[in-house]
Amino acid sequence: MSEKKFDTLKDVNDVVISTRIRFARNLREYPFPCRLTDEKKRQVASIVKSAVLDGHSAISGRFGYIQMSELTQEEAVSLVERHLVSPEFISERQGRGLLLLDDESVSIMINEEDHIRIQVISQGMNLESTYDLADKIDTLLDEQLNFAFNDKLGYLTQCPTNIGTGMRASLMLHLPSLKESGAMGKISSSLSKLGLVIRGMYGEGTEPKGAIYQLSNQVTLGISEQEAVNNLRDIAYQLVTQERNARENLKKNITIQDKVYRSYGILQYAKLMSNEECMQLLSNVRFGVESEILTGIDLPTINRLFIEIQPATLMKNIGKKLTPQERDRIRAELVRSALMKPQVPSSHRLEE
Amino acid sequence: MLCQSCGKRQATTHIKTILNGELKEYDLCSECANKMGYGSFFGNMGFDLDKLFGSFMDSFPTASRAAKRCQCCGSSFEDIARSGKVGCANCYDVFYEELIPSIQRIHGRTSHIGKLAHSAGTQVKIQNELARLKSELQKAIREQEFEKAAQLRDSIKELEKNNT
Repeated sequence: MSEKKFDTLKDVNDVVISTRIRFARNLREYPFPCRLTDEKKRQVASIVKSAVLDGHSAISGRFGYIQMSELTQEEAVSLVERHLVSPEFISERQGRGLLLLDDESVSIMINEEDHIRIQVISQGMNLESTYDLADKIDTLLDEQLNFAFNDKLGYLTQCPTNIGTGMRASLMLHLPSLKESGAMGKISSSLSKLGLVIRGMYGEGTEPKGAIYQLSNQVTLGISEQEAVNNLRDIAYQLVTQERNARENLKKNITIQDKVYRSYGILQYAKLMSNEECMQLLSNVRFGVESEILTGIDLPTINRLFIEIQPATLMKNIGKKLTPQERDRIRAELVRSALMKPQVPSSHRLEE
Repeated sequence: MLCQSCGKRQATTHIKTILNGELKEYDLCSECANKMGYGSFFGNMGFDLDKLFGSFMDSFPTASRAAKRCQCCGSSFEDIARSGKVGCANCYDVFYEELIPSIQRIHGRTSHIGKLAHSAGTQVKIQNELARLKSELQKAIREQEFEKAAQLRDSIKELEKNNT
């Protein structure tokens, strides 16, 4: 990740939480996963695994292989919570494998909906370098594997919605002001006309939690990767502008300010906290930071908490199974210690 | 199956979600699904895949449809239409004519632009390269980089000459 590129785009990180690029690829010689027996799935997994791990590229040595059927339920769910795999991927784990880069920025799902799903994820708005890395890994695999490709239809996939480039580029956005102002419905329907879609935090068929949305391209055929990425960026900038405008109105509202401070207070002092409540309060505090109602909290800390407070990730990090109440207690502790560090109390700003 | 939320309408949407650290699966009717924020892609696009394939299939006599199967994976077009899943790469050749109307409706276009796999045909590779060079040429002219434009023009000529 080039530091310089990151710097010039940093200015939209108040809204853009992370960037993700995903390629869908299949092996020509094997039917798509819906038509594969367990035995054939194992063959596909072993072919893809060795293509990645035995590659001559410097990156090959940094991948680890996870056989999905060997994970505990918490470990599997935590992969979803950390956005490394799709919910679909863990619903049936037999015959599925995951290649994960050491820093977790690249994950390659084997036998999800397609034989291969290459996914690269990075913090903030970072479309170019994220795309470049995904493209590089795809090219490495293309050199060793025979991808299902058709001159007219491009890369062939199990679902016709992905054919062509097989690329899904997405940005995770925090849009509390647009959500509060009730504009999301209208935005969502106008986006679909532009070949884009906006969904909940964990992608297809998930509800938006804590005003976190995922914006991605929908059309993959007849549009180049570059064009699709550019479209996504343009629309994202428009949403950023709209969110900021809506925020300017909201931040003057005393009821909203009250909500932000109360949320911050609860996060700092509560002893028990459910996942849902925590997401909502963190979202409110993030809004407070974005709108400069609150100071002394950095956005990466909140972004990190959004993931660390998720139930399975909480248990994975603690290293044991917890009852819901134990989880609520540890979640509250985690948030408290992250937000209570010595910092300038924001109350100073109140008198302004 | 009836919708698990309202218990009245037929369930059409299968939802997989992570709720409190557990994978949950629900069957909902489209109305409840929309209400809960599970607007589907096909819903957003103003149609659903089942209906799309379904209505298209109605225009074919059942007998001729049932007869044709992909020799590679054994799928019939009916299998594909029912599941919304294509069986293998070869199916796209076998059922090209049947699939193309749906593809047109999903993407609005029917031919690929963009990256090519190494297995792509030579002709396509050349055309792709030509398209790339031409768009770069346009850009060079726009930005008044005439030296670069001249180089690009020569490369295009060279490629076109070799291609004929």
